[in-house]
Amino acid sequence: MKTDRNLQGASSSGSTAGPTPSEDSAGGRRIDLLRLLPPLKWFVSRRWFQFAVVFPTLLLFLLFLLAGIFGSPVGNRNIIVVFVWILWWFLLISVMVPFASRVWCTVCPFPFFGEWLQRRSLVAVRAIDPKQRTGEESESGVLIGRNRYFGLNRRWPKALSSIWLQNIGFLALCTFSALLLTRPIVSVMILGFLILLATVLHLIYRHRAFCSYVCPVSGFLSLYAMTSMMEIRSADTDVCAQCGDKGCLAGNDAGWGCAWGIYPSKLDRNNYCGLCMECVKSCPHDNMALNLRPFGSDTQLKGYDEAWKAFIMLALALAYSVIFLGPWGFLKDWANVTESKEVGGFLLYTVILWAGALVVIPGIFALAVWIGRRLAGPHEASAKQVFLGFAYPLVPLGLLVWVAFSLPLLLVNGSYILMVLSDPFGWGWNLFGTANVAWTPVVPQWVPYLQVPLLLVGLAYALKAGWDQATRLFGRQSQALKAFAPVAVVLTVTVLYFFKLYTG
Amino acid sequence: MMPQNRAHQVLDTVIVLATVLLGGVVGYVAAPKPPAPQERQITIRARQYAYEPEVLRVNKGDTLRLRFISEDVVHGFFLEGYDLDVKIFPLEPEFEVSRPSKPGSGERVQEVAITVEREGKFRYRCSHTCGYMHPFMQGEMIVAPNRLFPTSIGMGLGVLFGGLIVAARKRKPA
Repeated sequence: MKTDRNLQGASSSGSTAGPTPSEDSAGGRRIDLLRLLPPLKWFVSRRWFQFAVVFPTLLLFLLFLLAGIFGSPVGNRNIIVVFVWILWWFLLISVMVPFASRVWCTVCPFPFFGEWLQRRSLVAVRAIDPKQRTGEESESGVLIGRNRYFGLNRRWPKALSSIWLQNIGFLALCTFSALLLTRPIVSVMILGFLILLATVLHLIYRHRAFCSYVCPVSGFLSLYAMTSMMEIRSADTDVCAQCGDKGCLAGNDAGWGCAWGIYPSKLDRNNYCGLCMECVKSCPHDNMALNLRPFGSDTQLKGYDEAWKAFIMLALALAYSVIFLGPWGFLKDWANVTESKEVGGFLLYTVILWAGALVVIPGIFALAVWIGRRLAGPHEASAKQVFLGFAYPLVPLGLLVWVAFSLPLLLVNGSYILMVLSDPFGWGWNLFGTANVAWTPVVPQWVPYLQVPLLLVGLAYALKAGWDQATRLFGRQSQALKAFAPVAVVLTVTVLYFFKLYTG
Repeated sequence: MMPQNRAHQVLDTVIVLATVLLGGVVGYVAAPKPPAPQERQITIRARQYAYEPEVLRVNKGDTLRLRFISEDVVHGFFLEGYDLDVKIFPLEPEFEVSRPSKPGSGERVQEVAITVEREGKFRYRCSHTCGYMHPFMQGEMIVAPNRLFPTSIGMGLGVLFGGLIVAARKRKPA
């Protein structure tokens, strides 16, 4: 049986990075929430679990789209902008990702219609007895493993089996973020396009091709989920090895085969697990665990696409901090092109953003890695191993930088949430009596005092993670120190620059 | 008794925290002393979606006599940490000043004076919806000695040097 990128990535990890998958994610204690909290296990084991958590989000999403189309064109008076770009964003980056991995994917409405059409089922599983497999394709739909699917069910092109599409798509989307964050109709166009695209791709390609390779949100979730304090894993890989059913991957009458193409026994990172919980249902040995674990437990980047995602996210945090949190009006005019009509400025901003994210920041980083390797002297680790190893510290650092950036958005503009809760369309309603709450920033003068510790923690995590990578790659501590020193300086200078932006 | 590994981890953490603290103290002390307070007359011009001046650099103890004018639409001037909110009318020298802590305290004036008693970096933000980019319309008032900045720089360098000490310590065989 052929599986997708994720399983292939896991099995090939040894070629690009040192440790085996089990070493990769085994560090630190684990507490299995499914064993600790039986009601949680009962809930996620229900066939209707995913429908029950996605459907409310879908209804909210549809409400947001309606508000975006028919409601106030003023962003801070419309629920789609306030709820998505202030509340959802903050919760996503500051709470969901660090504490619950890709739990957003569990409830995300984007693949709802596509997966429904692909499975022709919202709750039940379409499975056959393995003994009856032959000739089933002629009946209706297509058999993949032991599940029956509808649509074309093509394999996703191997050449696109990475997160490069997500990298470029996200960067393109973020180039227009000044419009996206302030115009409800632009949010409607983008979010509407994404749900339509997800539906179409589900009809053409098998499983969650949209989520795995196209969704721009999925790209950065996959990266930062590595830091998360939650993971889903096989409780005992020996049980998996002995298992003849492999229902987690092939599906069975209890659950669909993994829509992300993951074989849980080989799952060593959070990156490409969407926490749909089908494996909890389909495992015939009750061998899936939903673990609590230490922050930053997944430590291996497995390709340049992932490293570049880290560079792009850092560049965007920097750009947004300058444009949206900075005082410079001309930069806001450049980004706000449809109103300011500064096309030249917008083009310059675009070039700077793309060059910074794809060339300049990776270039500075690559230079530091190159200097480090020269300082370290002869060693066995390849250039790619060292580059990817030292790029990993950008993951915990990037996450904390994004939390620091997002904090003032919530604290300063959080009162808009109360306003639009009562008046979601900006039509003058007052459903809960909060429509006329005055704009009230919450402790805005203390924001820098919160951002500094966040950035310090991010730097400490990054340096620790880099040092661990260095000792793993170079073995001898003196070599590791020389190799990592230039990268450590780059990481520190990056954080100092954020200090300058936020406090200086 | 604590296992040796655990003891090393605790010691490493203590070393890093100590260097962070030391770096912070050095940064705090190294902040340049501001000159004697003075009175400044400042006219702030607001437009979609920026203020002129974008950055106000003042010293602790200064008295600022502020005037406002809007070049296009109604704007606000909410100064973080100073209980000051101003409604600025297009092309009018008169503006409405209020204290957010005292709702309904609005008063139309042509100048408002504040004494900057708190050091640091404070944003002034537009408080009246003025267009698409309204939530991001802001300027900065930097009050010297802005000790948080050198303190944070010192602490950041403290993390780096603490990490180096810990790494160098591990080079020695146990």
